[in-house]
Amino acid sequence: MNGHPAAFEPRIVGFLCNWCSYAGADKAGTAQTPYPPNVGIVRVMCSGRVDPQFVLAAFAQGADGVLILACHPGDCHYKEGNHRAANRHVLLRQLLQQLGIPPERCRFDFVSAGEGEKFVRIIEEMVDTLKGLGPLSTQGDSHGSAHP
Amino acid sequence: MSTAVFFCACGDTVSGKIDAAAVERQVAARWPGVRFQTVEFLCSEQGLEVLERDLKEQGAERVVVAACSPRDHENTFRSALGRAGVNPYLLQMVNLREQVAWVTVDPRAATAKAVRLIDAALRRVALHEPLQAREIEICPDALVIGAGPAGLQAALCLAAAGRKVTLVEKSAVIGGLPVRYEELFPNLECGPCMLEPLLGEVLHGEHAERIELLTLAEVVQVLGSFGNFTARIRQRPRYVDPRVCIGCSECSGPCPVSAPNAFDCGIGERKAVSLPFAGALPNVPAIDAGRCLRLNGTDCTLCRDACPVEGALRFEDEEQTFERTVGAVVVAAGGALLDCRDLPNLGFGTVPEVYTAAAFERLLAANGPTAGEIRSAAGAPPASVAIVHCVGSLDKSHREYCSGICCQYAFKFNQLLGKKLPGVRRYHFFKEIAAAGKEGFTLARQAQDDPDTTFIRYRESADLDVHSAGGRTTVRIKETVLIREPVRRRGGAEGRSPSAERSEHDGGPQRQDPAACTGTGDLLSTEISVDMIVLCPAVIPGDDTASLGAVLDIGRDRFGFFEERHSRTDAVQSTIKGIYLAGACQAPTDIQSAMNAGLAAAGHVLSGLVPGRKLEISPVTAAVDQQRCSGCKVCGGVCPYKAIGFDAQSSTARVNDVLCQGCGTCVAACPAGAIQANHFTSGEIMAEIAGILS
Repeated sequence: MNGHPAAFEPRIVGFLCNWCSYAGADKAGTAQTPYPPNVGIVRVMCSGRVDPQFVLAAFAQGADGVLILACHPGDCHYKEGNHRAANRHVLLRQLLQQLGIPPERCRFDFVSAGEGEKFVRIIEEMVDTLKGLGPLSTQGDSHGSAHP
Repeated sequence: MSTAVFFCACGDTVSGKIDAAAVERQVAARWPGVRFQTVEFLCSEQGLEVLERDLKEQGAERVVVAACSPRDHENTFRSALGRAGVNPYLLQMVNLREQVAWVTVDPRAATAKAVRLIDAALRRVALHEPLQAREIEICPDALVIGAGPAGLQAALCLAAAGRKVTLVEKSAVIGGLPVRYEELFPNLECGPCMLEPLLGEVLHGEHAERIELLTLAEVVQVLGSFGNFTARIRQRPRYVDPRVCIGCSECSGPCPVSAPNAFDCGIGERKAVSLPFAGALPNVPAIDAGRCLRLNGTDCTLCRDACPVEGALRFEDEEQTFERTVGAVVVAAGGALLDCRDLPNLGFGTVPEVYTAAAFERLLAANGPTAGEIRSAAGAPPASVAIVHCVGSLDKSHREYCSGICCQYAFKFNQLLGKKLPGVRRYHFFKEIAAAGKEGFTLARQAQDDPDTTFIRYRESADLDVHSAGGRTTVRIKETVLIREPVRRRGGAEGRSPSAERSEHDGGPQRQDPAACTGTGDLLSTEISVDMIVLCPAVIPGDDTASLGAVLDIGRDRFGFFEERHSRTDAVQSTIKGIYLAGACQAPTDIQSAMNAGLAAAGHVLSGLVPGRKLEISPVTAAVDQQRCSGCKVCGGVCPYKAIGFDAQSSTARVNDVLCQGCGTCVAACPAGAIQANHFTSGEIMAEIAGILS
């Protein structure tokens, strides 16, 4: 990883539910709306499948940020998986804080199948946030390390 | 392990941004044994031929297709793998078009991202297991609960397609609530004329032999899942044998017991052995066990003595229990009306001449207690009638929703009142007017144009007070936002128009259109005396919705109605696969929508359960590792489909793969890591994460 702040390109893992958010990301594609290439997307059937361990593993393996994107409340293909994901995210943020990982490195949001623009905005905001925070592994002195 | 990567150039849609040759070099450097092939249009006929030939000739244990979104063509390529003799689940797609080529500005960044994503797919696919769709035998027959418009249509449609139907009805007669109505909105069609042919079809039509009708019956247990349910049905005794009874009703006359007829909302009376109304179907009287003297210890046999046939009256009848195997269940259990006593300020049950809409329907009906004559309890036809819409609807203290049908039947009442009692004054108290649809405006417009009809808008039920004053029934409205006088009465002083109290406030009637009113008009207080008040209560779930929901294990929404799997795309399916919803047990609905929903539910059954065809179960489901399961039951609590049961013997959870939809929520919730999501295992997802970050 490049230590120079100006050249720092954060690495983001995004967990996207198949029915809404992944389709929303596809929508940004079909609209050919460009966004930074920093995110790699893992497709899951439902945001409710996102095990907090996946998020921890992503940070442990060098991710600077993690996104969990779900269907809007009431729109979940599986009725309530998005609510479970949202609740887990609240706990996950507390856990990350205890591990010394700023919780804003793990963002949860709702993206519908039509919200290509919102998806792009989330990626842009996340990249900006992470550039502001700098690489995760260099925060060891002040915030503790992601590699316990 | 031999692995093939197919890189689709998609013309130059992908390869114009992503350097295919560079990707091939870098993948080869990371994965020396993997063969890599670039194809111009992989999803085209020629492209698929290339893929299939390659797999057949060179074989492959795993396949990666780097192309467009899996949402577009995953099934296309899975089928191609199948044709080439490779298990379709040994495929992983990489979304290079929608999520890289089309959205990345810098070609070098796009190429680098493509390499990482292909790397992730190769790591993931190495862990894929070959999966097989499971097939199970099914029963193509159905159970239909409720013989109202929705259930009747469902039963008839299924029977016409050759399916056996068990139709369970809790009351003694079929037809649901609409058999009480003489004329129907929106065009005053004759209700019995519309319904009776349908009822006749069910009882003795062309396909009736395939419909087993069980009246006075309820479903008490349903076990199993889609394709194979076992239903237990309890039937109360009718005490009249339908196989023998000729339907002459001679038994009713001599019966010495008479009690208020609940079917007529208590207005008229009926004997302990009787049909609830003339023309009720099936045309077989039933004995009210609670009231019959014979069934309560006396020696009365008057009905049996009067019966012209031998053995029709059967005092010895007992409750029976039936068990039926069906593949699917259509729930059409119907709705009910809010009990108007819940709004005591509206006077129902305490102030004379206050009727519910259901009771008023019986006053209008030729087979009702007054033979269709509208007259008050005192016996005189009313000179003025107030019709209160939105009783308990659009009401935060009762039901927040608009019940949708009340305005339409209120305007039907308006029309029929005018027709039967020319010159009768009518006042509509309403919160909102709902008369949508291509026919809905007709009756609303007729009411608005009627010279004897006044519209008064109110905000909250609490603003109305119905009481008796000087021998007349009076509605006092604390605060109205609008009064719309009849067209021909505007501007003129009219003795019976809303009182002088109002005109002191504004000096003249309002001229706003009810539909246009936004509630910002002057606030007025007024009092209107009428001879009769009709309350239009909110449509609510039927009494047995909660118990039936528990029997079927299907979800209910916050209002108590049965909940659909998806409110727009899958609104006929309940939260449990194979149990379908139709009619007012799901939401307030009119007859047309209920019948349509019944047909839609039947369509689901017909397409989902085809005789001779097995039911294919997707292998992308959750599976419990019995060794690791601690039996904590956390998984059962999070499953939206009640697909996880508990095996008491081994104290472990069991996933029913027929019900499981493969969301994986239980997998993430299991504290022991004992549940695996097939095709989305933790190992597969972890491998993908590692590849993305490589």
